Amino acid sequence: MLIGLDVGGTYTDAVLIDHGKVIEKIKIPTKPEGLLESLLSALDPLLQAAGGREIQRIVLSTTLITNLIATNTVDPVALVLIPGPGLNPGSYKFKATQSYILSGAIDYRGREIEPLKENEIKACLEAIKKEGIKRVAIVGKFSQRNNSHEQAVASYFASHAPELQIIMGHQVTGRLNFPRRAVTTLLTLATREKFENFYMQVLQVLKERGITAPLYILKADGGTLPFTQSLTKPVETIFSGPAASTLGVLALTPKGQTSVVLDIGGTTTDLALILSGKPLLASRGAKINNDYTQVRAFATKSVALGGDSILRVNNNSLEILPQREGPAYCLGGPQPTPTDAMRVAGLTEIGDERRAYECMKRLGAGLNLSPKDTADLVLKQMVKKIAQEIDDMFLSWEQEPVYRIWEILQKQKIRPQNVVGIGGAAPAVLSLLGEEMGCRALAPPHAEVANAIGAALAKVNLRLSFHFDTERNFYFIEENGVQEKLPIPILSEDQAKDFCFTRLRQEGQKLGISSDEELELVYSEVFNMVRGWRTTGKLYDICVQFPTGIMENWLEERKDQSAE
Amino acid sequence: MPNKTGLVFFPAFDWAITPTHPEREERLLYTRDQLFEEGIMDLPEVVEYKPRLATYKDIARVHFCVPDIKAQVTEAHLIAAGGTLVLADALMKKEIDNGFALVRPPGHHSMRVVHGNRGFCNIHNEAIMIEYLRKHYGLKKIAIVDTDVHHGDGTQDVYWHDPDVLFISFHQDGRTLYPGSGFADELGGPTAFGTTVNIPLLPHTTDEGIHYVLDNLVLPILEDFQPDLIVNSAGQDNHYTDPLANMRFTAHGYALLNEKLKPDLAVLEGGYAIETALPYVNTGIILAMAGLDYSCVREPDYRPENFKESPEHMDYIKDLIAYLHEVWKNRKALAEQRQRRTGGYYERRRTVYYDTDNIREQQEEKVKLCAKCPGYQVIRSRGLYPTRTERTVLAVALPWQACSECQEEARSVYQEYVNNPRGLDFVYLQDKPRDTYLQYSVSGRSEMQL
Repeated sequence: MLIGLDVGGTYTDAVLIDHGKVIEKIKIPTKPEGLLESLLSALDPLLQAAGGREIQRIVLSTTLITNLIATNTVDPVALVLIPGPGLNPGSYKFKATQSYILSGAIDYRGREIEPLKENEIKACLEAIKKEGIKRVAIVGKFSQRNNSHEQAVASYFASHAPELQIIMGHQVTGRLNFPRRAVTTLLTLATREKFENFYMQVLQVLKERGITAPLYILKADGGTLPFTQSLTKPVETIFSGPAASTLGVLALTPKGQTSVVLDIGGTTTDLALILSGKPLLASRGAKINNDYTQVRAFATKSVALGGDSILRVNNNSLEILPQREGPAYCLGGPQPTPTDAMRVAGLTEIGDERRAYECMKRLGAGLNLSPKDTADLVLKQMVKKIAQEIDDMFLSWEQEPVYRIWEILQKQKIRPQNVVGIGGAAPAVLSLLGEEMGCRALAPPHAEVANAIGAALAKVNLRLSFHFDTERNFYFIEENGVQEKLPIPILSEDQAKDFCFTRLRQEGQKLGISSDEELELVYSEVFNMVRGWRTTGKLYDICVQFPTGIMENWLEERKDQSAE
Repeated sequence: MPNKTGLVFFPAFDWAITPTHPEREERLLYTRDQLFEEGIMDLPEVVEYKPRLATYKDIARVHFCVPDIKAQVTEAHLIAAGGTLVLADALMKKEIDNGFALVRPPGHHSMRVVHGNRGFCNIHNEAIMIEYLRKHYGLKKIAIVDTDVHHGDGTQDVYWHDPDVLFISFHQDGRTLYPGSGFADELGGPTAFGTTVNIPLLPHTTDEGIHYVLDNLVLPILEDFQPDLIVNSAGQDNHYTDPLANMRFTAHGYALLNEKLKPDLAVLEGGYAIETALPYVNTGIILAMAGLDYSCVREPDYRPENFKESPEHMDYIKDLIAYLHEVWKNRKALAEQRQRRTGGYYERRRTVYYDTDNIREQQEEKVKLCAKCPGYQVIRSRGLYPTRTERTVLAVALPWQACSECQEEARSVYQEYVNNPRGLDFVYLQDKPRDTYLQYSVSGRSEMQL
């Protein structure tokens, strides 16, 4: 049996899945007292339903990291930068407790072009100690190609101030983008301890309940990791809620199709895309607290339009305002809302029908329309707006810059086959939206707990991006900071790929990924290094992965549906 | 509101002339690494655009391709040219304040008639962009400043007879470097005399010398010309580490140049110091165009004191500038003299060499001199190919500004040659006033229209 649990901002959802069936599902409002309380109130009924039968795995998704950042309760961190030539480092506005800039530079090939200055390192440490900061993030430009500067500073700090917690940029992410590496490294260290404390508490309460099933944490890229592995990069678990919903839709819709995930809430409508069975990732990484990071996350879009958005008539035309002032009028709220329109149109049965009519009548007076026609107009306008936003999302995906001829020629116009509704208000407008967009409207069974299903079924994923420099005889792995001499000469692209796949299998085993799990080549590129008309070496950029996805054999409902 | 700089980055990581050619896949690789590591694309001042494919018609507005456009361009060329068009649109829609197309393959050695690749170029990205802007947005006066170390002979050829396009090129003296042209007395055809300005500089000229030229000649002429648009034909091979040339310009020099020049659109041309120059020069140019501090962009071995000019160089530069100022001031009178001297038609003969493809071209050009407009041109071109084959074409070029008499006359000239194509393989009409481009194949007896 599998348990999936998603503690969101508004609701906490949980499911128990056994032999392809959802045995039990829970949806409760998230408790203001805290995450742990919410988690337990959803978990306990599931454990009861399981009735002591074996639970293979528990996957959790929480807003812990989001909350820490939103409430600014992250731990103080000193940021030490080694920026080298480029942008003026004085222009960086990283949200560190204190920032320090050191001399020294590494270039794009990983060659030292300017040495560190020991007196600066010493002075920097003095300053950090004086500030009383206990955590230090050291981040150098191109440290993913040569970490010796980060290492030198870190070891100086460690030997002169053993009490410090130190993290280095190359350990966190090796993707090109120094400012994003700095932000991501900073967030990693600032959240690590609280993340660990929270999940140790979770483990404790599970133990008290006699649960020995392994605990997994869902990440923003829709993959999951064993709890102990997630400790190194807790910030990757941010935005796991939307990832869970998207995975849930993936699980509940026919395989390999292109779908829009639509979650209409009270204030916002949240969108995500699944392209030919693969959730779309944000091209360069998630934006957290207005900063760009290297955290891989699904591309999601939040539109300020929901069931409780305020309606008004201005200059004889109907407007849906991007804000909420309370619940719908039919539920005792102050203003007419799309929910009232749905009530009048007979698309929902919540709230007081008389109140819904009353507010539509008032609204319609300014438009010379009957309450019914007014409601229809509201819904039409709402659906048009959402359809437009979906279209824009596909367009911006098409417009994402690419750097190769074949990619430009290949990227074609794709439009969705399904629009899949999962939020509270979604089913009511879903079919209208399907008509507007000319695609199938799906409201699959268990859609209201799609997020918990997604969490329960999420696969362990792993991606390794290799960079080989045969002239310098080195190889690098972006994700785990490996920088080593090549153990064997790499003479061809095929040989390089084999090297990558072998390494991926080994790393996968450490995470418990089964050896018959399918491997995927994400990209492979070769550049000849020519100096003076002679080839002096090759650069290979190769990325391999165990892809993100869901454990296919765990849900039978999906099979039933595709058979229709 | 911050300045918005549009960027098209198209390194064509899957295109090369040959695997070890300077114009190969690796050329912008380290530039990519530097720009991405800097996080340039994340800056609020930078908007990245995806290139599109230019159409054949966009190309026909500039070139007469022999035997046809398809034979001269690959997809990489269409994307590089199309990348400039994306920025042109964004600029005109005011989405951006300026833009830099970091694209390859380059284009500034491509002339109007194209028999093959010369100076690593097949089609002219900036000219395609400028003609597109003139057609779709009605721009009239345009200035191109060529900051590549090689003379922009393709640009010069395209705009030799166009009084509304000012072409200024500073470059390493043609006696010491490909393509061996761009001398100070090359000043434009009789109908556009003075709107071609060539500034040949001695080898080893430094930041100081180039900025002296910029401050004392280029910028004052631009101020006087008052263009609707300034284009930087942005080669990066004046750099002191470039393997194919001998100048001593720095990344800081290039950034400062763009800060002063304030180009509306910049398009990458040459530059083959792919490790020691390009990552730094491109970062510098982008920051300068975006109005950001580029003072920390420097090459690892950069020492400002190494880039001072010698007194001999400065004397040469001052003398050259004085001459070119004199011509610029008197260009209208000088143009009239020339037109009177040549009578109803102006003719020139020349040979053009295609280094990459080893083609020799013989050209005769005839320009109608008209009192009301810049006239039209008839070009007879014979391409002699390394395979010992040859093709001869006749091309009629009718500019945007042509008066109605010249328009009718040019169209009937084209028709006459189509009716009687003695010794020709193809006949072309580039009819810009109608935005119609005709190519008649003599052997196929068929006319293609774009």
